[in-house]
Amino acid sequence: MRMLRATRNADIGTILAEKGLDDHSAHWRQHLEAVTADNVEKALSEPAGSYNLQKLSALISPAAEDYLEEMAQSAHELTVRRFGRTIRLYAPLYLSNYCTNSCLYCGFNRLNQFERTRLSIEQAVEEANIIASEGFRDILLVSGEDRPFISIDYLAELAGRLRGKFSSISMEVYQMSRDEYARLFEAGIEGVTLYQETYDRRAYGYYHAGGPKSDYDLRLSAPESIAGAGMREVGLGVLLGLTDWRLETLALAEHAHTIIKRFWQSHVSFSFPRLRPAFHVEDSQFHSFGDKNLVQMMIALRLCFADAGLVLSTRERAELRDNLILLGVTKLSAGSKTSPGGYSGRTEATGQFEIDDSRTPAQVATMIKDRGFEPVWKDWDKAFLEKSPV
Amino acid sequence: MDELFIAEKAFNSRLLIGTGKFASSALMAAAVDASGAEIVTVALRRVDIENENDDMLAAIDRSRYLLLANTSGARNAEEAVRLAKLARAATGINWLKLEVTPDPYYLLPDPVETLKAAQILVKDGFVVLPYINADPILAKRLEDAGTATVMPLASPIGSNRGLQTRAALEIIIEQANVPVVVDAGLGLPSHAADAMEMGADAVLINTAIATAADPIKMARAFKLAVEAGRIAFKSGPRAASGKADASSPLTGFLRDQ
Amino acid sequence: MSDRARGFVPRMETLKINGTEKQFPAGIPRTLTELLGQLNINQATVVAEIDGRIIEQRSFAQTRLSAGQSIELVRFVGGG
Repeated sequence: MRMLRATRNADIGTILAEKGLDDHSAHWRQHLEAVTADNVEKALSEPAGSYNLQKLSALISPAAEDYLEEMAQSAHELTVRRFGRTIRLYAPLYLSNYCTNSCLYCGFNRLNQFERTRLSIEQAVEEANIIASEGFRDILLVSGEDRPFISIDYLAELAGRLRGKFSSISMEVYQMSRDEYARLFEAGIEGVTLYQETYDRRAYGYYHAGGPKSDYDLRLSAPESIAGAGMREVGLGVLLGLTDWRLETLALAEHAHTIIKRFWQSHVSFSFPRLRPAFHVEDSQFHSFGDKNLVQMMIALRLCFADAGLVLSTRERAELRDNLILLGVTKLSAGSKTSPGGYSGRTEATGQFEIDDSRTPAQVATMIKDRGFEPVWKDWDKAFLEKSPV
Repeated sequence: MDELFIAEKAFNSRLLIGTGKFASSALMAAAVDASGAEIVTVALRRVDIENENDDMLAAIDRSRYLLLANTSGARNAEEAVRLAKLARAATGINWLKLEVTPDPYYLLPDPVETLKAAQILVKDGFVVLPYINADPILAKRLEDAGTATVMPLASPIGSNRGLQTRAALEIIIEQANVPVVVDAGLGLPSHAADAMEMGADAVLINTAIATAADPIKMARAFKLAVEAGRIAFKSGPRAASGKADASSPLTGFLRDQ
Repeated sequence: MSDRARGFVPRMETLKINGTEKQFPAGIPRTLTELLGQLNINQATVVAEIDGRIIEQRSFAQTRLSAGQSIELVRFVGGG
């Protein structure tokens, strides 16, 4: 979908405001309720994999719930055509559960009292070795907002230590500047995942009461910094259950669309973190977000973004993941430990959320094969690109 | 208003017209008029000093049309830049159709020299409209370099074969942040309408009009086709539905919950 | 005796125009405007380059020519 000349260079904040997607009290809810079966069928007749806001709103509307099977078949077929019958596997490496933010929904909230842990570089490398021994060559470094310890220097050093073992190193850590992202790209990190959590300004302010993450606009600008710094992979997402998921999906798609148009060399992926029981977190104020909603969101996004990655973590139940991988998923984590030091089992540290798929990587790989897909541990061999010692 | 914006200038017509290959200047001027075009391309050639020349520029009313000089004949970036500067000196207009065609058989544009020349010319203040093969990566490179549009070919110049590069054009149209002008190879008004229905911002036609038996009528036909294609594109056409074959259900598990 | 018999040949002035040497038995035109006039070329629609330098149209009348210069005369023609 072509951007209008007038808004070509508008930033995502302006775009969301103009479309009323940063304010969930606006007209969108009624608009989505008013979508008819005919609207949905028209959306389904548009070329699979192409995006426009009108099309996506039809596909995530309540009316589209009657069309899930048809959408799923289309999404499956499109994914197989573009990605082949393969699923990539990755593992998260939690470096620290210290955090200076106080996000209401998170187990790592600064205000929560529990024993915190950080890994030294050597400890992190030890964990990474265990991950590699399971077969992984794709690793995601994760940390709370713990800049003083898990600093840019630390991450750069760790990346340097890991780049020989892993063909892909990504990170999901606190937001940093474009120059810092560029520095880490040079050090060997090629992807960054950073969730807006919610695109609704009011909700954002409510859930992110304190710390660096409390600035909505700053957070919103992160993916552009990431892509602008040259990172190859940009991971986007919202925390499902905080607000109305349909509206969040629309905002998320608009955000993805701006990144794709402006940074043609970066690849965008969507993740679907769903609120899970977390130690110390009250779950009464959250919105419902069931499996059916997750399915609809995933296949609607797939039908609008033919080449985007769809990433699923071990937050979801095993049986659900097994069914979801036929619906357009391109990347899965397996055997995850969400506490620092969890792989070596050395510590009893608190995990960020409870895992619901606790199968081993080997078991997950078997499941993938049973479903007619090939598990891919590493994408391509970077060895020949590294300068060889003379 | 559905205006075409190139380098922040607004145009009503999405049909650009070339002035080559016409039987006479008068016929050319009449066809240009019938086409409704606002942008008219011209080439630069050495004056033939042995013979008196038909001065075609006099036939074009410069107050009505934006004269878009092309660098046809240039075989490399250096020649293109030279021609560009000559053209700017002649007309005072800094708009330029960048055309670098070292191959005399198909007149296909050289991607390497075109990019090189574009970078130089953009820095020198030209509004550059580069003619390229339908190469999506090259289109992004040129856009990064600051060209005002990209102009991918549909099929080789003069071949009148229509949208042979359709698949690549679709990608270019999807990915571009600048106007996409489909240039070269459009032989029939239906080709032009097709290009507009695909989402192209404009088309450039020369051979199909100039060499038609009745160029003036053909110019009008192209004008109508471009308008029709654009209106169709904006009215949200419903594609032919191709339903996937039924296979095992993928969402049955939701009902089991 | 004629000059020619004594081996003296008057030096012919030339200009290279559009890649071709052109001789001017009566001497080269003094200005660009005069040259265009001699060649019967409409000044208003021509672009000129002398030894690689572009000459603005309004300066044609004041542009002096020297023997041996390389001059490009270019005009707009129909093109796609």
